Amino acid sequence: MIRPALAIARVKLVLELRRREVLFAMLLFIAATIVIVHFALSGAGAGGERAAAGMLWAAVVFTAVLGLLRTFAAESEDGALDALLLAPIDRAAIWFGAALAQLGFLIVVEVIAVPVWWLLFFQHGGPRILPLVGALVLADVGIALVGTLAAALALGARTRDVLLPVLVLPLLIPLVLAGVTATYGAFGEESDVLRPLGFLALYDLVFAALAWGTSEHLLGD
Amino acid sequence: MDAPAVSLSACSKRFGDRLALRKATLTVAPGETIVLLGPNGAGKSTLLRLVAGLLRPTAGSAQIGNAEACSAPRSLRAGLAYAGHRAQLYRGLTARENLGLHARLHRLTDLDIDAALDGVGLADRADERIDGFSRGMLQRLALARAIAHAPGLLLLDEPASGLDAAGRLLLDGVLMDGLGQRTQLIASHDHELPARLGVRTVHLAGGRLA
Amino acid sequence: MRALGRPSTTIPLLLSLILIPLTLGMTFWWTPEDIDQGLSQKIFYLHVPIALASYAAFGYGAVCAALYLWKRTDDWDLRSYVGVHSGTIFGTLVLLTGPIWAKASWGVWWNWGDKQLNVFLILFLYYCAYFMLRFSLDEGERRRAASAVFVLLGVGLIPLSFLAVRIAETLIHPSVFTTTGAAMPSSFLLTFLVGLAGMLSLMALLMAIELRGKRAALRVLELQRRARGEDA
Repeated sequence: MIRPALAIARVKLVLELRRREVLFAMLLFIAATIVIVHFALSGAGAGGERAAAGMLWAAVVFTAVLGLLRTFAAESEDGALDALLLAPIDRAAIWFGAALAQLGFLIVVEVIAVPVWWLLFFQHGGPRILPLVGALVLADVGIALVGTLAAALALGARTRDVLLPVLVLPLLIPLVLAGVTATYGAFGEESDVLRPLGFLALYDLVFAALAWGTSEHLLGD
Repeated sequence: MDAPAVSLSACSKRFGDRLALRKATLTVAPGETIVLLGPNGAGKSTLLRLVAGLLRPTAGSAQIGNAEACSAPRSLRAGLAYAGHRAQLYRGLTARENLGLHARLHRLTDLDIDAALDGVGLADRADERIDGFSRGMLQRLALARAIAHAPGLLLLDEPASGLDAAGRLLLDGVLMDGLGQRTQLIASHDHELPARLGVRTVHLAGGRLA
Repeated sequence: MRALGRPSTTIPLLLSLILIPLTLGMTFWWTPEDIDQGLSQKIFYLHVPIALASYAAFGYGAVCAALYLWKRTDDWDLRSYVGVHSGTIFGTLVLLTGPIWAKASWGVWWNWGDKQLNVFLILFLYYCAYFMLRFSLDEGERRRAASAVFVLLGVGLIPLSFLAVRIAETLIHPSVFTTTGAAMPSSFLLTFLVGLAGMLSLMALLMAIELRGKRAALRVLELQRRARGEDA
């Protein structure tokens, strides 16, 4: 399960390095989203820190959806998905490999975008780093797992690209709620960041288990 | 007696409102080679994809060995190869990398990729990305991949399309070598192929086996 | 397909005809008026049973989805679809009656501090996406499997949504509304239970009728295909 998943994830990362289809788009998109949400809220004078946290999470989720649109693009192009389905590996490995690649993209994007976000909104102070990073990483895992699952479901659909965001976003609402809560906690207003972080870990586990259990039916006919 | 390598019984497949395969019943003995003939849209590809386990029958069953093809255990899938209309390759990878991935997924630790590529005349293009490959070259690479893991059941869907004369000879050679060695099911438009191989023919028309 | 049995419509119909008017009667003539909320609290006997009935339908949809993936019999797919569909119809009623109650009690149409309502909104969006998924795929094995997998995700989403909203509320919505007092008079509870039974009967009726309709439509399609000599 792990080895074929790593092989598939590696192929997807190599393809991205060669073709640069997703990462640049995601970076530009996350910057644009942060700016748009900032201007959309600026007139409201929404309390600085909280608004900034909201902006970050909105931008992360929408950017992730943008990346997910290309999840199985390379496999659809020339029927490579058939080869993966035919291989003597668990079908869960295909989903898991794609999710690993997606996780990699998200982390790369955040490593660049989050420090910029920080500099833009927190000249002094800012959230505690450890809980913020913890929340982002746990959320990235969840987004990658659930998003890849939804992308696999949308694969045979006529309206795949429109369908995917509609499928993914409702599933991600609890994750965003917990992410935002953890980020508020990281500002030190409340010391309780463990509960939202624990929730994010639970979210990851629950959806990993559900995807695992249904993976035989996830891809293919 | 051994279980048949492939057995379809009253196997039908429907896509939306179109019935692509109607109650097909077919038994292929281990080691047997069969050529599927029939016009475009006759259901040849659907039949092969059902046997490969890529499609799930709407009614009836498609079995390889003693298992339903679409839920066959990994050990059975390890001995199966299918090359279809599409090359099933990653366009952004080189020929070598594509075979390397195949080897990794099939756990072929001792696959000689150079020899495999040489066997289909692609040795000098091994490290080129395949986006630049012609249809025939993709077909050759797909063929090399299909036989790389020494499958016991080889399913080929119009393997000659796009191949030049040399490629066709190479393909015939592969099929000849496989006679009696493995079960082969080949969809083709080449009406002379059964005679050249000296094997049984099955005709398909309008989704029905004749 | 027909071996799975015909769902009864008579029993749920009779139960609905008795229980729902009974609930209304009990609501207005038996239960005492709420001290804080007055008359507007009466919608509780309608709103909450509808919400619970729609959860029951979603649960039924998920169980049938799991059975479909296990057995691969088309009828389980139909049942799962009918469960989600009826649940969503009732869910729409919840999202309509909720704001009426909110407006009467709190003077706003939507109260973002109401945990239950927020969770319901998440689930409503999720189940609406189900229909979009289902109708974007061609009828066939792939569509049935994808629909079933998506419905099963709800098994995780429903409890996680409750949990997330609960975790978030202390930080995001410091003011928490509670709708039930410390001690409910027994007339409250009994009326509520009768209301719940009534809504569940109505739900069962709705699902039975729809399931029959869907099966009939499938049967017609099957006969048409047979007439064309296409029986699979």
